Formats: sequence, structure tokens, C-alpha cells
Amino acid sequence: MELDVRGEICPYPMMKAVEAMKKVNGSESVVVITDHAPCLDTIPPQAIRNGYTYEVEETGSPEWRITLNPKGEK
Amino acid sequence: MTEKTDNNVSSSRILQGITRLQNVAAVWVLIAAVIVAIIMSKTETALVPLWFLAMAAGFTLQRSRFCFASAFRDLFLFGNSQIMKGILFGLAIATIGFAINMFKQVPFPAFGVMPQEANILPVGPSTIVSGLMFGFGMVLSGGCVSGSLYRMAEGYVGSWVTIGGVIIGMGLLSQTWNWWWNAVISESPLIWMPTSLGYGGAVILTLLGLLATFLFVTWLESRSGIYIPQATKETLPNETFDGKLASIWRSVFIKGWPATVGGATLGGIVVLMYMVHMPWGVTGELARWANYAMTAINIPPPTLLGLSDIGGCAGRADESGLFTHTFAVTVGLLPGALVGALFSREFKLRFPRSPKRYAQSLIGGIIMGYGAGLGIGCTIGAFFSSVPSLSVSAWLFAASLAGGAFLGVQAIKRIG
Repeated sequence: MELDVRGEICPYPMMKAVEAMKKVNGSESVVVITDHAPCLDTIPPQAIRNGYTYEVEETGSPEWRITLNPKGEK
Repeated sequence: MTEKTDNNVSSSRILQGITRLQNVAAVWVLIAAVIVAIIMSKTETALVPLWFLAMAAGFTLQRSRFCFASAFRDLFLFGNSQIMKGILFGLAIATIGFAINMFKQVPFPAFGVMPQEANILPVGPSTIVSGLMFGFGMVLSGGCVSGSLYRMAEGYVGSWVTIGGVIIGMGLLSQTWNWWWNAVISESPLIWMPTSLGYGGAVILTLLGLLATFLFVTWLESRSGIYIPQATKETLPNETFDGKLASIWRSVFIKGWPATVGGATLGGIVVLMYMVHMPWGVTGELARWANYAMTAINIPPPTLLGLSDIGGCAGRADESGLFTHTFAVTVGLLPGALVGALFSREFKLRFPRSPKRYAQSLIGGIIMGYGAGLGIGCTIGAFFSSVPSLSVSAWLFAASLAGGAFLGVQAIKRIG
């Protein structure tokens, strides 16, 4: 599932990422595309709490692709 | 697979180009800031250190992504207390620094004299109303006053709307201030802890209060589940001198700072500002702009009662001329944050996609501006500079901020 939250600021990217993780319920990865740097600090803790691992990739200036993988998959 | 590699190569080339451009722009912003400082020094020399300290504060806010709104909001929203702990750490440092500075000005507090520039504000019903409004507004708009100011510099257009709203809200407050003064604030005492407790007792009580808050937010956080961050991979070669320098550059200018580093740095900066002249505050300048704007459209605010006896932000709103102390400590934040955003490649004009975000920014800003005017300060002036001033008002304001943030969280959950 891909989540494009560019233009959104805190807390929406994190809120939507948590919603998405709950929605797919560990059945697939969630990819969050964001241009809001604070997300790099706020999304990872929520990923871990929801049983996901995270991978952050810088894809633009400033733009990041945060891949959240359900633990156990991968 | 090869296609993906090609993509990566070309996008990294573009990234490098942008990096160079942003670094050059950052240097130009620094040069411009120095020129402004030289011009300001002709008005008053004290403006120069205040201006550079505000730049350092803006840089620190940007680098550590320090957001007072999220510090309060995320406690309720996600049980996250990283930034709140950074704030508490900074407050502990500032409390000791302020106490030393205030002791030099008022060695014998028991006589009832208070240090002139300290942010000691009235304690009463207006403190609660202002904290609730401010806390609600900052969560609705997505940033407090200082947060929206540094995000303005990072290119967040929504934050420009928020600051516009704050100025409107402050104008509305100026028009109604005298009602508040006569009905409520004139009866509200200024309570400065050292008057009854001495400096030692006041500092110890404040530090214990900070410790208790630290334990409370840690408990809140543990209720939402402990998490252990994943180990991060450091890929830069560290062995050579160049490698070491690059690594230092990266951790200061590229990577975000940990919240505790940000909090400690801000704590040190507010102490230095107070040593130069006055504690940090950013709403006085915006209130001044609101008053200018209202005068320009022929609805000048009435003469505001009582403010000359109170320190803090709004007490200086009647200063005239462009280059005032409030100008230096408020506007200086913008080039500082802009430099931080450019070096870290985080500058970008970002437009909210949904129209309702603009409405949230504006309405949140207006509510927050009214609250900041009524509370004679924002999360900086009435809280971050006021706790170390050993003022009781700061604690009541902070508790009300938390209450307002809680209400704001309920609102944004419904808005979606």
C-alpha cells in the first residue's frame, strides 16, 4: 500500500501511516512518501509499536520514502 | 534492475546539484543577516547579540525539529514524549542560568521587588483561558507561534497562513484587552517564587517540578508501549581527517539533532538573551505588527491598561521604530531557520493540498493569537522563558496548554 502525504505536516503523515498499518494489519508493506522531515523521527517509533520494521530512503530534496514492513515478512 | 540503478544515479546527480545550490543560498542568507546586523548596530549595539542569538535559536529549532505543539500533542496522540523531555532538560538548564542572573539584579527577593525583565506573569482565570486557547489553536494549525515562524522559513505555506491568523487574533485581543484587564487580570497577582521561598527554595521546587513532569510523561509514554529504535547504519568512513570532518558536518547540518540536544541548546540561548537584556519571546513583535495594521486601517487599539507593570512579551508592544529588541529576537529566527533548512536540503515551498488545511491554519492561528495576547506570551514567552523566571504563572499556563492540546487532538481526529 502506498501513501502519498506530501504537503501534509505533523501529525497527519504519522496519523495516516498508523491508520494504514492498522488497515493492512500486517498483510503487506506500507510505503509513505513525505516531504516533511519530522516524520523521520515520528513514524519509526509508531512502526515498531505496530509490529513493523522501517527503512528510510532519501528520494528527493527534500523527499523521503519510508517503507514499513510487517515483522516476520521480508 | 538496471533501470532502477540508472534512476538512482541520475536522481543522485540531481540531488548533488540541488545541494550545491542550497549551500550557496545558505551562505548568501548568512551574508545578508550580517549586513542587517551591521545596519541594526547603528540603532543600538545590544540588538546585534540579540539578533545572532535569535538566529542560533531558529537554527536550533529547525535542526532539532523542535515543535512545542507536537511536544504537548503527541503525549495524547501517540504517547510520544521525546520533545517534551528535551523541553524539560532545556528548562532545567535555563532555570539555573536565570536564577544566577536574577540574583545579580535582585539579591534580596524577600522585600517584594521583582527583576524587571523576567517573564513573571499574572496568575488567574485569564492564564487558564489563554493556555486552553493557545493549546487548542496550536494543535489545530499544526504549530505554535515559534514553530510556525521557523516553518515559514522552511517554506511551509500553511505556516504563513497561521502567522497571519496569529496577527489577526492578537489584534482582536488588543481590542478586548481592557475588558479582560478590568474584569479579571487587574485582580490576578504576579507570583514570583523567590519572594517567599528565596532563590534556593524556588530553584529546588522548580527542578523538582520538572523532574515530576519528566516521570509523568515517561509513564504516559510507557503506557503506549516501549519501543527500541532500530540501529542506524553509519556508512561514512570515519578514519581519515576528511572523513571525520564530513561526519561532524553531517551530524550538525544534515541529520536532525536529538531533542535533548535541541532543548539544552535553546535553554542556553534563552539564558544568554536574558544576560544581554531580556528573556526570549516572540509574540511581542507580532502584537506590534497587529497594532500597526489596525492603526493603518483606522481601527487603532485602545490604550492598553496595566501592561506597563507586567514584563514579558506584550509589555514591549508599544516600542516604536523598526529595529527594536522584539524585532531582533523574533525576526532573527527566520534567517537562522532558513540557513538550517538550506544546509540540510529541507527547504521547499510546500502547499497544503486540501483546502481544509488552510482553514485549519487560519482558524487555529486566530485562536492561538488571541490566547497568546491574553497570556502575554506564547510557548516561549509565557512558558519556556517563564518557568526559569521562577514564575508560578508558567506552570498554570503549561497545564492549561496541555488541556487545550488535548481538546485540539479530539478536534483533529474528527477533522481527519
